[in-house]
Formats: sequence, C-alpha cells, structure tokens
Amino acid sequence: MIPLESLTPCFQGLIPAWLCTCSRDGMPNAAILSHVDYVDSRHVALSFQFFNKSRRNIIENPKAMVRIYDPDTLQVYALRLRYVRTETEGPTFEAMRLRIEAIASYSGLKGIFRLLGADIYEVLSVTPIEHEVGLPAAASGASSAAAPTSGLPFTMKALQELSDRIQKAPTLDCLLDAILETVESIFGFRHSMILLPAECPDRLETIASRGYPEGGVGSDVGFGEGIIGMVAEARRPIRISGVLRQSLYANAVAKRAQERGLCPDDRRIPLPGLAHPESQLGIPLLLRGELVGVLCIESEKPYRFHEEDRAYLEVLGGYLAIAIQNAQLRERSDEAEEPPATRLAVSAARPRPAVPAAERRARLEVAYYHTDECVLVDGEYLVRGLPAKILWKVLAEHRAEAQVEFTNRRLRLDKSLKLPEFKDNLESRLILLRRRLEERCPEIRIVPSGRGRFRLDLSSEVVLAERP
Amino acid sequence: MATHPPIGAELADFLESGLAITIATRDADLEPDGGWAWAARVDEDLLHIILFVHELSAPSLLRNLESHPEIAVALDLPSSHRACQVKGRFESARPGRPEERALIERQVAAFTSDLEAIGIPRALTGGWRCWPAVALRFRVTELYEQTPGPGAGEPLR
Repeated sequence: MIPLESLTPCFQGLIPAWLCTCSRDGMPNAAILSHVDYVDSRHVALSFQFFNKSRRNIIENPKAMVRIYDPDTLQVYALRLRYVRTETEGPTFEAMRLRIEAIASYSGLKGIFRLLGADIYEVLSVTPIEHEVGLPAAASGASSAAAPTSGLPFTMKALQELSDRIQKAPTLDCLLDAILETVESIFGFRHSMILLPAECPDRLETIASRGYPEGGVGSDVGFGEGIIGMVAEARRPIRISGVLRQSLYANAVAKRAQERGLCPDDRRIPLPGLAHPESQLGIPLLLRGELVGVLCIESEKPYRFHEEDRAYLEVLGGYLAIAIQNAQLRERSDEAEEPPATRLAVSAARPRPAVPAAERRARLEVAYYHTDECVLVDGEYLVRGLPAKILWKVLAEHRAEAQVEFTNRRLRLDKSLKLPEFKDNLESRLILLRRRLEERCPEIRIVPSGRGRFRLDLSSEVVLAERP
Repeated sequence: MATHPPIGAELADFLESGLAITIATRDADLEPDGGWAWAARVDEDLLHIILFVHELSAPSLLRNLESHPEIAVALDLPSSHRACQVKGRFESARPGRPEERALIERQVAAFTSDLEAIGIPRALTGGWRCWPAVALRFRVTELYEQTPGPGAGEPLR
C-alpha cells in the first residue's frame, strides 16, 4: 500500500475530498468533505460536522471510499476505508476542531460551523487513479505552490543565533523586533506579528509586526476570533494550509445559515494581518500555562508551513514567552534602581523613522474623548485605553510645565491612569503607543531615554482639545 | 421504483454549467466506489441525466452499475459550493458521440475557469483528458440540496 505519509500534501485541506458511502438498502451517496486528516500509518480522520446522509450511512454500513487530491498535481487517490470510531476529544479531535473553528470565525459562523466529532477510519487500500491527474505526466514534480516537506533551517546554528539576539536585546521593544527579524532572516517567514494581552480581558493587541504594508500595531482580536483568537483561547498551536479554499466551504455554510436565520449578524471580523492569507500558523507563547502572547506567521502561498514548523515553533514559543516576560520584569525592576544619568546606548535603541520636513504637519490637534478613552489626531483615530490616557497626560504636562522627560515609575504611581497594582503591562502599553505614533503621527515621538524613562519629542505645534 | 417529477429549467442549467461531478456506485457487498464525470446533460425528457466519463473510468463504474444500478451523483460548483445530489437508476452506456465532444469541453472549460478563480491554476488542470468519453444514462429518482450547511440533504423540488 502507498504509505499515507507520502500523501501529506493531500491532507492539508487545499482541495476538498469526496466521500462515497452506501446505505443498508443499497443506495450509494457522494458528499464533499472539508477535512481528511492523517492520524497514523493505518488511519485517517474525517470531519463530522453535520448529521447528514453520509453520517447515517456510515452508522448503518461502515464501508466507505474517500477520494483525495494532491494539490501539487491534482492526482486523485482512492482510499478504501472502514469506520472505526468517533472521537470527541483528544489530540486528533482538538487539532481538527481548532482549525475548523478558526475558519468558521472568519465567516461569522462560530458555533454553527463546528466539529461534532473526528470520525476515525482504518485505511484498507490506497489506489492512485492513474488517468485522473491534472498535471501532464512530464510536468509532474515541477515546482508548484505546495511543497511536500519543510525546507527550513531549524538547525542548532539558527537556534543559537536566535538565542544570541534575544539575549542581547536590551529592552522589550528591541526584543520584540529581534524575534520577528530573526523569524524572517533565519527561518524565512516574511509576515509575522506578536500579540500581547490587551487591557480588556480575553483580548489581544498587536504589539509588533513585520512584513506588512501597514504595521497594524494596536489592532486587536478577541479570544476565539480567527486563528489568533483560537490559539489564545485554546492555548494550542494551529496551522491552516489553505485559508481561502477552506473559507469558501465555510462561506457556503454561512450563506445557507443566514437564509435560515441562524446567523443573523453577518459579522465578518476584521483581523490583523494579510488581507488574503493562504497559510497561517499561530503559536501560543506560554509560561507555566499562562498566556504571555501569541506569535502568528502568515503567507500568501498555500501550504507554506508544515507540521515540522509547527513543532519547532511550539518549542520556541516557550522560550520566547520566558524572554518576553523577563524583559517586562527587568524593565520594571530597573526603573526603580537606575540612576537618572544612565542612558540607553543609542545603538541599542530601536531606530526611529525620521519625518521628512515636507511631510511634517505644522500644527496638530490632539483630542481626548473621555467617554471612549481614546485620542484622535486631526480627526483620525490614533489610540485608545491606557496608551491614550498616557499620551494625554504627557502632552498635558508638557503644555503646563514644558516637561519633556518622564519616567515609567511616575506613570505607575499616577492614580488618574488607574493602573492595576498587579501586572499592569505598562511597558507593553508604552511600546504600543510609541509604535502607533510612529505609524500614524510621527510628529509626536516617545523616545526611550534610559531604562524606565522616555522623552517627549514634538516636531510640530500641538493643540490639545478635550471632548466629553 | 420511485419516480421524480421533471427537472426544472434553472436546475438543469446549473447541472450543465460545468461542475465538479462525483459518481458513487456500490457492489454486492455494499462496498461503495466512486468515479469522476466531466460533464452532465439533462435529457430532453427532463427525467434522465447523461453523464460523460472518460473511457478509462468507465469499466470500474460499469462493473458495479451493470449488476447494481443504484447511482448517486454529487454536483458542486467549487467557488460557491452550491451543490446538489441526484440519485437514480442506471439504464445504459454507450460511447460518446463526436458531436457531444464540444458540450463536454465547454463544461470542462467552465469548470477550470471556476477553479482558476479560487487559485487552482490552469497549469495544474492542463493534463485533464475528457475524451474519448463514455455516456452513462440514468433515470432520476431523487434530488437533494447539498450545499454545505443547514438544509443540506433536504429534497429539491
């Protein structure tokens, strides 16, 4: 029998499979199937999402045949199957469930498009249908979107380099950039982002990103929304290989559900990241079971990330979680001890984009909205929550007292900011504010000037306005 | 044998629009088998459908159908996953006629265009061979909605 391991590309959900079953009274049935997963060398798992005819047939008659497609060649394989059992928990079920629910949330279908069970089948035979192949025989093996194995250099040398860069990062700000730069330079993943817990419970905010036309810092995602939200909710990695094509299936379900009033809000959740990702890999950054953040990498190519990538990055995730939390704790402890004269070496500070004089606005209106706790600059949304309150405070103090130097410690003691006493995440809020300003309002800069301190740098006249 | 009312014009247009067409059959042991059709044509009587399969696909399908005529055909438009399932009883097979080749190629072209729209390039579908074909005629006994989601499996009227 052709080893199932050699059919790995067929199990990525890039092209839907077809399931043929037969009722006890002898009527066959053919149905499209969103997921066929490899379980082991003798078994596959088929997604069980609806109580449909296939499902009823399988209960009556455990014999089945599934046709799967190699996305590289469109070669068809017929797998003769015997139903063994349905799993509703365990690693096979969980991996399938998380992937399906992440896709479902893109279509506003969470709770409707869900996995009821992972049906486990024994594979009795694997037959390539020789005359059903897309690529002309001579072209088989030519390069295509899908690659059968990971070619990524997860070598000791690469890991050593990552470790060196992480250890040399002097601040949390630099550390986040170092992680994403290394993810690209060593591992070749061009689009990546790190999200950390937001102020609101069960939400994450993008704190650093790389490889996107717009940085997207400050964009947020709720637990359970999309791949990032599902990773955060389940604290497990998720890998999706064909987002577009899997979404088509979910969208069809969404349309039908809406027609029947099951999905009335037609909500599509705008998520940070690529507009049309084909491959996504989300890794929880966990420390003793606590979620420190989520690392998400994306690609516009289908089947860009492989199971080995997931496994390596999951191990790295634990290391990155420790590094991020250590950086947060170190900055907090340093701010009390370090004498004011100490400055961060210029080379260690994150390079700041300069604003060309021609693009600089001469005058800005910065408005703080008390009800929404958000700041708008010249009518454009900039930031909300704690970063907004911090910006408003430093601008107000600058106006009143011409103050330009600030310390994290003073912010932390300021009751008006209402920081929680435990785990206030002030450092990450400041990074978010600094990066939002770089993206949206470079005339106002928050420049690190030493551990636990920063300087306000204005290159335009700033007019403050308070709104209800 | 159950009968089915004539197929409506809108549904007939959909069935002939160039779709993913999967055929399911079974043997004496209720072991299901499957195959691929390149095109479908609703017969003029609106009670029968003719499927066009490659001549290399025909023997395994006919091995089951000639002794167990129950047939199920799932037709799906990949870009929207609008789909339906037709069930019936196989009646006859014959070689595809030269004048039918254009109909088959037109449906395959529409199907590959739909696949291209969802990112499956023509370079991948270029090796498909739909001719010479065998025409499988069957009488429709049941018709079902099969677009994924709630309502899938309900009879189509």
